[in-house]
Amino acid sequence: MDTGKTNAPLGIKDHVELFQEERYQKSFEAKRAASEMPCEEDVLKISEWTKTKEYKEKNFAREAAVINPAKACQPLGAVLCSLGFEGTLPFVHGSQGCVAYFRTYFARHFKEPIAAVSSSMTEDAAVFGGLSNMIEGLGNAYALYKPQMIAVSTTCMAEVIGDDLNAFIKNAKEQGAVPEDLPVPFAHTPSFVGSHVTGYDNMLKGILQALSEARPKGSPNGKVNIIPGFDTYPANIREVKRMLKAFGIEATILADTSDVVDSPNTGDYQLYPAGTPLEEALDAQNASATLALQRYSTLKTLEWVSQNWAQQKTLALRPIGVKGTDAFMEALSEITGKPIPEELEKERGRLLDAMTDSSAWIHGKRFAIYGDPDLVLGLTSFLMELGAEPAHVLCTNGDKEFTKEAEYLLSSNPFGASGKVYTGKDLWHLRSLLFTEPVDFFIGNAHGKYLQRDTGTPLVRIGFPIFDRHHLHRYPILGYQGALNVLTMVVNTVLDELDRKTNVPGKTDISFDLIR
Amino acid sequence: MAVPRAKELINEPSCGHKQKDKAACRKAPEPGSSSGGCAFDGATIALVPIADAAHLVHGPIACWGNAWGSRNSLSSGPSLYRTAFTTDLSENDIVMGGEEKLFRAILEIAGRYSPKALFVYLTCVPASTGEDIESVCKKASRKTGLPVIPVMAPGFVGSKVLGTRVAGDTLLRRVIGTREPKETTPFDIALIGEYNVSGELWDILPVFTKLGIRVLSKITGDGRFEEVATAHRAKLSVLICSNALINLAGGLEERYGIPFVEGSFFGLKETNGLLLRIVERLGDAALIEKTRAFTQAMTSQTLQTLEPIRKRLFGKRAVLYTGGVKSWSVISALKDLGMEVIATSTRKSTEQDIAKAKELLGDRGVLLTRASGGELLELVRTRGADMLIAGGRNQYVALKSRIPFLDVNQERMRGYAGYKGLIRLAKDVDRALANPVWRLVLEPAPWEAAVAGELAAEV
Repeated sequence: MDTGKTNAPLGIKDHVELFQEERYQKSFEAKRAASEMPCEEDVLKISEWTKTKEYKEKNFAREAAVINPAKACQPLGAVLCSLGFEGTLPFVHGSQGCVAYFRTYFARHFKEPIAAVSSSMTEDAAVFGGLSNMIEGLGNAYALYKPQMIAVSTTCMAEVIGDDLNAFIKNAKEQGAVPEDLPVPFAHTPSFVGSHVTGYDNMLKGILQALSEARPKGSPNGKVNIIPGFDTYPANIREVKRMLKAFGIEATILADTSDVVDSPNTGDYQLYPAGTPLEEALDAQNASATLALQRYSTLKTLEWVSQNWAQQKTLALRPIGVKGTDAFMEALSEITGKPIPEELEKERGRLLDAMTDSSAWIHGKRFAIYGDPDLVLGLTSFLMELGAEPAHVLCTNGDKEFTKEAEYLLSSNPFGASGKVYTGKDLWHLRSLLFTEPVDFFIGNAHGKYLQRDTGTPLVRIGFPIFDRHHLHRYPILGYQGALNVLTMVVNTVLDELDRKTNVPGKTDISFDLIR
Repeated sequence: MAVPRAKELINEPSCGHKQKDKAACRKAPEPGSSSGGCAFDGATIALVPIADAAHLVHGPIACWGNAWGSRNSLSSGPSLYRTAFTTDLSENDIVMGGEEKLFRAILEIAGRYSPKALFVYLTCVPASTGEDIESVCKKASRKTGLPVIPVMAPGFVGSKVLGTRVAGDTLLRRVIGTREPKETTPFDIALIGEYNVSGELWDILPVFTKLGIRVLSKITGDGRFEEVATAHRAKLSVLICSNALINLAGGLEERYGIPFVEGSFFGLKETNGLLLRIVERLGDAALIEKTRAFTQAMTSQTLQTLEPIRKRLFGKRAVLYTGGVKSWSVISALKDLGMEVIATSTRKSTEQDIAKAKELLGDRGVLLTRASGGELLELVRTRGADMLIAGGRNQYVALKSRIPFLDVNQERMRGYAGYKGLIRLAKDVDRALANPVWRLVLEPAPWEAAVAGELAAEV
C-alpha cells in the first residue's frame, strides 16, 4: 500500500522549519540591516516601553483607532442564526464581499462548508437603491438552491441607503421571483450598530415573527423552546438536548445549528444538512415557555416573545459552571413540574468531585477573560467557583447593561474583588493590561495567540473564532459536562505551564514532577 | 461616489481580454448566488503584505473585524502589517461624518507605531456617504510627515480582481517613484503579484540570487514600503499573477519604459520557461548561458528527487478548481508529476490563460467557467477523478464527499513554487491520496458490511 511516507528521500522542509535554519536567519538579519530597520537595541527599548504604565495610559487614552477588535459584525450573527433552521438559505442584502468573509470565517472555525448568498449590490445599486438586486437575487437564489426558507439580513451599505426590506420582499413576491408562500423573514442588521450577537438577535426575532404570522396560535403543545443564542459550539446544543431528554422534556431548539456546522461524513454533501424543522418552528408559539441560554444575543427576541406568545415563562439563563447550570435545571423543573433527573444529579456530583480534585491548582490564580458578553460572564462566574481570581474582564461588544452585570458579578464574590471590567476595549488594550497588571492565564479566542506570544501569558482557547486549533467546538462548554470540559482545559493549561517552567534538565527540573 | 478610477481600471489596456470580453473583467457578480470577495478584499490582499506599513481600514467593524489576520503572507522582518487597525465606525460616526475620526486615528497610529507609511482603505459606508478620505490623508500626511496613502476600493465597486487593480494603480500613482534605490545593477527586477503565501517567495529568491539577478522590489510579498517605492528603477518587471496586477506592469512600461514578462513558478516547465524569458529580456549573453545550464541542472536534479513519488502518482487524475494563471500553471506542475488533469476552471483567467489551459488539458479535458461545490463533486464522480485540487471554500465540500483534497489557493499550508516547491507539491498530493483515513471512510462500517453480506447470501 502507498503510505505517502516520503519525508526522508525528498528532504524538502516547509516554511516552519526551513527559515529557522542559520543561513536564512542570517539573511533575514542582513536584510534588516540593509533596509535601515532600527537597531535591535532600539526595538527592545520601545518594546519594553510598551509594557509600562505610561504606555498603558496613552493606550487607554486612544479614542479614534481600534486595534485588534474582538468582535465581528451583525450580519455574521444573522447568518449563523439562519443556518440553524431547516432548509434555510442565509441571504445577505448588500455588497457581495461581506458574505464571502462570513463563509470563510465560519468555514475556518467549524471546518465545514457554509452556504450563504448575497444580493451583490454594486455601485449602481448604492445610488439607485437595491430593489432590483433584491428581486433578482431572491429569484436566482430560489432557483439555484431550492430553499424552504430564505432569511434576509443586511450589510451596512443597504442600511446606509435605507433599503426597505419589507417592501422589497413583498415586491419580489408580487413579481413572482419567489413563491408567495415561501417564508422570507428579514432583519435589518447594520454593522455600525452592535456586533454579531446583536445580528443574531435581530435575525431570530425576524424569523420567529414571520413564522408566527404564517400560522395562527393553536393549542398549547406542552413543549419548551430553547434559544441557544450566538453559540459557536454545536456540541453545546447537543449537550442541552441530552439534558432535556434525561428530564423527559420535549423541546424545540430555536435555532439548532448542531448537525449543520458539524454534520457527519456520509459521503454526500448536503446544502441543508439539518436545522430546526420549520414545522416545529411554526409551532414554537404554542410552547409553555421559552428559555434562552444567553442574554445579550436574545434581548429583543425574548422581549418580542414575551409580548406576543403569552407563555408561562420567558427567561434568559446562562448554564455555564455549577451555579449557572443549577439555575437552568431548576428552571426546567419548575416549568415542567418534573424532578431533576438522577442522571444529571450524578453528573453534577462528578463535576463537583473533579473540581475538588483540581481546585488546589487553580485557587488564587489570576485570569483575564475576553469574548462575547454571555460567554465572558459565564466563564468569570465558573472561574470564581474554582477559586480563581478574574482580574480583567474584557468585552469589545458589551454594553452598559453588560458592564453593570459584570461589575455586580465581581463585587458579589470575594474572588472577584480585584477584578475590573473593560467594556468596548480591544485586544491592544488587553495587551497593555497583561503587562502592567499581569495575570497567570487568560481565556479567549484564537487571536489571543499573539498576546500569548507578546506577554508570555498562557492562553486557554474558549470562544470564537478559533482558527488555529481543531475540534474544540465539538466539545460542550455548557452544562455540568461542559463545565467539566472547561475545568479540564483550565487545569491542564496550569499543569502544562508548570511543566514548561520546570523542564530544563539540571536547572529548573527540581520540580518536574510526575504526580500533580 | 468617490471612486472614479475603479471604472477606468476595468478598461485596462494591457489586459488580455479582448474588448468584447470586458464583461469578464467587469464581472458584476450575480445577485443571489454564492459569491467571492469584493474589491476591498482584493485591495487588502495586494497591499497588506507590505510589512512595515500600517494598514488602517476606515469603515464599520464588518470589513476588518471579519477579515483581519486571515492571510498567511509571511514577513521576514517587521510584523506591523499583522496588527489590525480600523476606525470601527458607529452609527453616530456615520451620521456626523467619520473624516475627523479617521484623521485622529491616523495620528494615533503614526505617533504610536512609527510605520514607514500608512495605507488607508476606503470601504462601502464612507464611500456611500461621500467622505473625502483623499483630503484627510493629504492633511494627515502633512501633519505626520509620513506617506498616508488612500486606497479607493470600497467593496461595491466590484470584484476582488478589480480591487487588486485599484491597489496596483495606487502603487503606481502614489508610491512607486517616490524613493530612489541606494544602488542599481543591470539585472534589477521587480517581482509583481507574488504575495509570499506560506513562504513561497523564499523558494524563488535564492534561485535569482544564484543567477545573479537582483529582486529590487517585491510587490508585495515580504515587501517593504521603500523597496516597493523604488520599482521604477527596475530593468524588467516579472508579473506572476497576470490578470490582477496587469495594470501595474503595463503602467511601469508606459511611465518608465520598463518591459514586463508574465509567467508562473508552478512546475518545472513553467519555472524554467519563465527564468529563460526573464534573462532573454535582460539580454545578457553570459547570463542566458548560465541560466540555461542552471535550469537543465535543476531539472534533472528535481526529476531525480521526484522519481519514487512520480511512480506512485503516475496516471492519477485530478480536477483542478482555482483561477487566473493557476488555472493552467498548476496543470503544468501536475503533469510534471505524471498526473492527468481532467478539468480546470477559468475563473479570473485571461484569454491567454484559457488558451494555455486548453492546450495543456488536451481534447478530453473540461474547461469550467464557474462551478458550485455540488457541480464539482459531480464532475469528480462522473469523470472518475482521484482528487480535487482547489481553494479553501471547496475544501470541506470535498471532504464531506470523501474526496481527497489539496489546497493550492491562498490557504495552502506550504509553498509550491519553484523547484523545491514542486517537490513539496508532489509530497502533499501523494499524502492527500495515501492518507489511511480515505480507506476508513470509503469502507462500510463492519456491521453494514455484514448486513450486505447476509443480503447477498439470501439472494
